[in-house]
Amino acid sequence: MELLLQTLLNGILMSGIYALVATGLALSLGVVGIVNFAHGEFLMMGAFLSYLLFAFRGMDPLLSLGLAFLAAFVVGALTYQGLIRPVLRAAELNQMLLTFGLSILLQNLALLLFGADTRVVAPPYQATTLSLGPFFLGVVPFGAFLLSLAILLMLQVFLTRSRFGLAMRAVSQNRLAPGLLGIEADKVYLLAFGLAAALAGVAGVMLSVMLYASPTVGFVFTLKSFAIVALAGLGNLKGVVPAALVLAMAEALVSTYLPGGGGLVEAVFFLVLFLALVGRAWRKA
Amino acid sequence: MRLEVQNLETGYGKAQVLFGLDLVVGEGELVALLGANGAGKTTLLRTISGLIPPWRGKVLWDGEDLRRFSPARRARLGLGHVPEGRQLFPLMTVEENLRLGAAFLAPEREREGFERVFALFPRLYERKRQLAGTLSGGEQQMLAIARALMGFPKILLVDEPSLGLAPRLAEEVLLSLKRVVEEGVGVLLVEQNVALSLEVAARAYVVEHGRIVLQGLAHAVLEDPRVREAYLSL
Ligand SMILES: Nc1ncnc2c1ncn2[C@@H]1O[C@H](COP(=O)(O)OP(=O)(O)OP(=O)(O)O)[C@@H](O)[C@H]1O
Ligand SMILES: [Mg+2]
Repeated sequence: MELLLQTLLNGILMSGIYALVATGLALSLGVVGIVNFAHGEFLMMGAFLSYLLFAFRGMDPLLSLGLAFLAAFVVGALTYQGLIRPVLRAAELNQMLLTFGLSILLQNLALLLFGADTRVVAPPYQATTLSLGPFFLGVVPFGAFLLSLAILLMLQVFLTRSRFGLAMRAVSQNRLAPGLLGIEADKVYLLAFGLAAALAGVAGVMLSVMLYASPTVGFVFTLKSFAIVALAGLGNLKGVVPAALVLAMAEALVSTYLPGGGGLVEAVFFLVLFLALVGRAWRKA
Repeated sequence: MRLEVQNLETGYGKAQVLFGLDLVVGEGELVALLGANGAGKTTLLRTISGLIPPWRGKVLWDGEDLRRFSPARRARLGLGHVPEGRQLFPLMTVEENLRLGAAFLAPEREREGFERVFALFPRLYERKRQLAGTLSGGEQQMLAIARALMGFPKILLVDEPSLGLAPRLAEEVLLSLKRVVEEGVGVLLVEQNVALSLEVAARAYVVEHGRIVLQGLAHAVLEDPRVREAYLSL
């Protein structure tokens, strides 16, 4: 029983980061209408930024968070302006090939610059754990979880209160009307894409401490995010958090209870994606 | 403020829809644009708003050619457009839909806008927290008009507001447009309901196959034998 609860607790703690990254993907998908296979690479960049700042400036990852948010926002905005905007009206397959190509390009660039080794950011509190009765809580996963929730809450306030946030939701619900109301959809897309990248960038900083920075760390998250978004339902931002929880818990259960579970964990997202798509097709039929 | 369309030609792909169309709408006047299905009324409104580029001819705003202006920029100048099919944000509340109509204005103007549209459509005030997608057809149409009014347009294009509404509700909506005109807005009203729109309009144009075939004061157009035969089946 205790093992089960500890396993579920681990799953819950991981779900925050999943939700953060997947919300970014859902934003670029729902608002901009782009299938961005390079989304995880924004996370990878955030992780390496955190590593560089820690290794060469001794900067605490907590401080790197804000910087990574801004940097990833700028990179995302530039990516939109330079690469995405020109193909907005192109066929979907072309758009996907473009973002897929970008993903491979960025991964190889990172490989060239940093090599294939994994790099861990190890601040003094990295291995600290709290014990809650019989359970153990890593300070870093717990902090990352709380931070992720706080960021998602702020995003929620932004999307429901501010004009820019309203405009983002509006664009995702009707493409024609915003222009007729004086809202330049192009600016909204730029902001949404930048924000999507920023969310991934912040998650990257957290991962650089919880896991590591490496050239391929992002791509797995792209795939997992797709599974989460598919489970939540396209355009359903609020569904992302529970869907992230489902994936993270399923992974935790597999890793604890399946023999050789450690190796299978990375396949769980595929099962979730598969079931979500089949379930959806089932309901439609 | 004066919206003028000069010798406008446009279409989709190779299919021409408008064949040299001229029209004027001034501030504070209600102008009806009548015509059968497929005559090109919606296409004309879309071209005025900049959603479709003209092949030839011009859209002038107080004499200035709008050719290089995006639809959003035209809206910010004061050109409102209530599009065919309402195009609301269905998963957002009435209030949020309205706020989006004023998104480019200073925040004080937003409050002023709310007062104005709630005075015009008290029913929207009662339902301001309801999702737009769950409103009745008539309420949705009121919301579409109100949302456009939140931007304080000087000229408002309205595409078939009475479509799918019961006669009494259609009349209510058209009468509300009349009140908007009394506040000084110029309205170009596209309607299938010829009798009703000629009752509220001051002037009217009749379009057939992308050309203006008749224009004049509303009562004169109403008396025209061609109109009576083709649209009023009298
Ligand atoms: N997106 C489009 N692509 C191709 N042809 C179009 C498109 N929209 C309209 N058309 C064609 O252009 C012509 C004019 O259409 P338009 O919608 O302007 O007519 P309308 O006068 O508004 O008719 P209604 O009263 O039925 O709304 C029609 O023949 C229509 O088939
Ligand atoms: Mg039409």
